[in-house]
Amino acid sequence: MNDLYIIITASLVASSCALLGCYLILRKMAMVGDAISHAVLPGIVIAFLISGSRDSMTMLIGAGLIGILTTFLIEFLHKKARLQTDASIGVTFTWLFAIGVVLISLFAGKVDLDQDCVLYGEIAYVPLDTLIIGNQSIGPRALYIMGIILAAIILFIVFGYKELFLTTFDPAYATAIGISTTLWHYLLMGAVSATTVASFESVGAILVVALLIAPAATAYLLTDNLKWMLALACMAGVAASVTGYYIAVWLDGSIAGAIAMMAGVIFIVAMLFSPTHGIFTKKFSRTASIAS
Amino acid sequence: MTEDIITPALEVHDLTVAFDRKPVLWNIDLKLPEGKLVGIIGPNGAGKSTLIKAVMGLLPLSSGYVKLFDQPIDDVRKRISYVPQRESVDWDFPASVLDVVLMGRYGKLGLFRRPRKADYDVALDCLKKVGMEGYINRQISQLSGGQQQRTFLARALAQQADIYFMDEPFAGVDAATEKAIISLLRTMTEAKKTVIVVHHDLQSVTQYFDWVLMLNTRLIACGPTATTFTQQNLQETYGGKLTLLSDVGDLIRREHFPNREGVIKQPKTI
Repeated sequence: MNDLYIIITASLVASSCALLGCYLILRKMAMVGDAISHAVLPGIVIAFLISGSRDSMTMLIGAGLIGILTTFLIEFLHKKARLQTDASIGVTFTWLFAIGVVLISLFAGKVDLDQDCVLYGEIAYVPLDTLIIGNQSIGPRALYIMGIILAAIILFIVFGYKELFLTTFDPAYATAIGISTTLWHYLLMGAVSATTVASFESVGAILVVALLIAPAATAYLLTDNLKWMLALACMAGVAASVTGYYIAVWLDGSIAGAIAMMAGVIFIVAMLFSPTHGIFTKKFSRTASIAS
Repeated sequence: MTEDIITPALEVHDLTVAFDRKPVLWNIDLKLPEGKLVGIIGPNGAGKSTLIKAVMGLLPLSSGYVKLFDQPIDDVRKRISYVPQRESVDWDFPASVLDVVLMGRYGKLGLFRRPRKADYDVALDCLKKVGMEGYINRQISQLSGGQQQRTFLARALAQQADIYFMDEPFAGVDAATEKAIISLLRTMTEAKKTVIVVHHDLQSVTQYFDWVLMLNTRLIACGPTATTFTQQNLQETYGGKLTLLSDVGDLIRREHFPNREGVIKQPKTI
């Protein structure tokens, strides 16, 4: 049963990240996802210090706000300080992350967080932290949180599909016809922040980046249709979770690490054998056409 | 230089746009009439694209105001359409031709509503108008430059707007496409639509446009092509930068190009 809980939680994290990752990649903002996932750390610590509990709602709000502050800072440095985008991302997120690290070490005694857990996560402990209603345990807390997050993201994408599509493809045109690019930008960034925070406990700050980008990048290579790209990204994420879990069990290693590693392996396979863009496929079809 | 128009489609007053305190557009005052095909011409860096972006509210204004159909821009967004420069978007985006054209319907649909059959019909009709009906499900990454431009044009048409801003729609397209586009724009202006086009090629100006807007940071001239596209105005706009300039001037003087407004009748001498 515990195996199943871990695999399902990992799959929920991977799918949530994969869906948002598609939009990040298409907006050429993959590194912003990276930045947010690190920068939310002080938000988590501060929310924890204020509320004194690991109550997920407070943490989500705290980190969501910091996530939006991060995107705001990145844009501010880019536009007002006239720094290149990559440089402003680099400055912003390391700075915020460092503040988080300092805060954790300062309040290490009072805070039930440690750097290892924040950086690498510990998905193996997911089944231990159960949600109790009445006297009955109804399964891991993380499972429910990630379930709600994934449902919220799916609703967000279903209802905002047109707007997300248009503001991603052609923001100038969207603004001209009266669809607010800024609003949808911040909504998306808010969703990325919330997902990152919720995924924190299970996969940690570093590996969540792998799940944001690798499955979406895999799907990008496999299809020319956005809806298919979203679906394939989820499948790649789930596949990485399942295979990653069993590899970790077999090697007796880190589960989150194995999942992220498998996400990379799946990406490489897609890169080599994609029906349209694959390196091998192209070579193969060329030799085939020459032979015929 | 600016003619007075009673019901202008577009009115710009005292518009200044600056990047890093360096003005790109300076003190622009103009009115454009409804139902005309208007060309914006000027040398590189004259602020042609900046002007249409500023008018549509895509850039912050340092001073001045813009009115469309005598209303502030945000009240008439549904009546505005825009064809951005072709290179401004990523054509490797996972979308089909139909997906892009349907975007033209998004403004009218509003939040949360999906395109319905009527929207698909409009999109297909517009694709037919630009001669792209054979490419409906084609991925946009597989289109040629001219086809990309036609797709963008179909998207603008699908909006059924009243005023169209087009940023260099003829850049990098073949002669056949250019001809097809211009005749399409003509039918649009006949239906009382206003079409404003950023244009590069001076030789086709007299053939294509009813009105010209000559720009070089400041507004040099704005009015009917026949009276405004003069050698003096060209000289002022391009500052003698183009060797082509004198050629064009010569051509106009020799009246190689037919005068659209017809021959101006000489007043009878008493």
